Amino acid sequence: MTIQARSGNIGGPAACGEPAANLLMRWIWIDKFVEFKSGQSAVAVKNVTLAEEHLHDHFPGFPVMPECLMIEGMAQTAGILVGEAKKFSEKVILAKIRKAVFFDYVKAGDSLRLEAKIESLAPEAASTTGKIMRGEKLIAEIDLMFSHVDKNLAGKAFPEENFVFDDTSVFDSLLREAVSQGADPGAGESERE
Amino acid sequence: MAMSREEILQQVQEILVDALGVDDDEVSLESRLMGDLGAESIDFLDIVFRLEKAFAIKIPREELFPAESLMNNPAFVSNGKLTESGLKEIREKLPHTDLSEFEKNPDLNKLGDLFTVNAIVNFVDGRLNAA
Amino acid sequence: MRVAGKIRRFRLLRPTAGQFEQVGYASAQCEGIMRFILIDKVISFEKGRRLKAVKGVSLAEEYLGDHFPKFPVLPGVLMLQGLIESASWLVRNSEGFAHSMILLEEAKNVRYKSFLPPGAQVEYTVEARAIEENVSSFSGVGVSQDERIVEARFALRHFNLADNDPTLAAIDGVVVENMKIRWKLLWQGNPGGN
Repeated sequence: MTIQARSGNIGGPAACGEPAANLLMRWIWIDKFVEFKSGQSAVAVKNVTLAEEHLHDHFPGFPVMPECLMIEGMAQTAGILVGEAKKFSEKVILAKIRKAVFFDYVKAGDSLRLEAKIESLAPEAASTTGKIMRGEKLIAEIDLMFSHVDKNLAGKAFPEENFVFDDTSVFDSLLREAVSQGADPGAGESERE
Repeated sequence: MAMSREEILQQVQEILVDALGVDDDEVSLESRLMGDLGAESIDFLDIVFRLEKAFAIKIPREELFPAESLMNNPAFVSNGKLTESGLKEIREKLPHTDLSEFEKNPDLNKLGDLFTVNAIVNFVDGRLNAA
Repeated sequence: MRVAGKIRRFRLLRPTAGQFEQVGYASAQCEGIMRFILIDKVISFEKGRRLKAVKGVSLAEEYLGDHFPKFPVLPGVLMLQGLIESASWLVRNSEGFAHSMILLEEAKNVRYKSFLPPGAQVEYTVEARAIEENVSSFSGVGVSQDERIVEARFALRHFNLADNDPTLAAIDGVVVENMKIRWKLLWQGNPGGN
């Protein structure tokens, strides 16, 4: 059998340094939405699995899910909720962690439920409250503030396009599924002018 | 809902301690949000949200902290100071704040000094007791 | 120290007349793609009081591809992680590596003021407000080119797995040994400090 040569891909340990596209770590800390009420609340789930490489550094010998990545999972759940409430017309980014409190640690094999609610919605910013559950156990309470980038980081250079939610975004498929699941345009009542 | 100034101040103090991560004893009536308590843009919004929730009122951000639109309007600002029309604008927007000191030297950089704990208490007092 | 990673299979190819002939398979264990360590070097520390560490941001960090497309910047939670790691080392050194687990208990008023793009270096400074046996509290800041990037107040909790389950004492031992080795890597050869 002969195989056409592919440049730079002879095989062997040297190829370790070049991850194939499908092995690239994606910056996504939720797995899917199980509830989505446009403008109000959303629930996402995250499985914590030994297949996640970062666990093996935190800590070597006893893997636990880093708290900061649970905060990010909540930021993604709540951020998508806030972004969708404005039909993704704005770049929504995490501006402030008001409070994040943790009551227990999370291990491989755990399955987490991330529940986020919009508390306030204004043109320049939004605030959300949230909790993370493992079954019946409360793992964390996380309250966040999101900013409309343009209005609150004046003077910093960034591209015009919505780099957070455009179609190259890692959230794209999660978004489409979330929105088709139960998003009801016009259902939100917490929006302020 | 009538509240005394003391009750309002207490709530406002709690809010500022939570929003800005400062200690109780750092928050006095004269404390300037930016100069003394380290508040920034995102914190102003945080404070507005918390005030709305605590006092059950709606606060368009412009009403409480009108700095941004003022600062970017050339009719109101000249050479780093507020013009006559700028001063007029700010008197209208901040009826609850004592501007006498500021008017002597309406330097733009000092605009932030107007946002004191006292100004917030005045604002809330005005809203609650006018209704 | 365990090295996390995937076992990958490669086809062994031998060049023959301008093409390649598959002659077999080999497998190799690779280093884990993402190393979850968010500081690069500790540059100074005063035992029990203050620690400074640095981190460089590099395009080689794969999550930058998603965060964000066309606008790569270090995710804010990873700046917080840099502060948490810095504070954890202060705790470990204060308590003589007595505890294996040091985790975030609470973070408050974490403000993000600017972005860290590839090529940037950030210096984290954490100051201990209190370090007790099982809890500690800190204020932390990240600065890059004289600009404050992130500020936070946070509390950590420290414990051993054996506190709840004595049969896990051996695992505590493994974690502590690994962290002692990691400390040598981070603090290696730096002048100054304690």
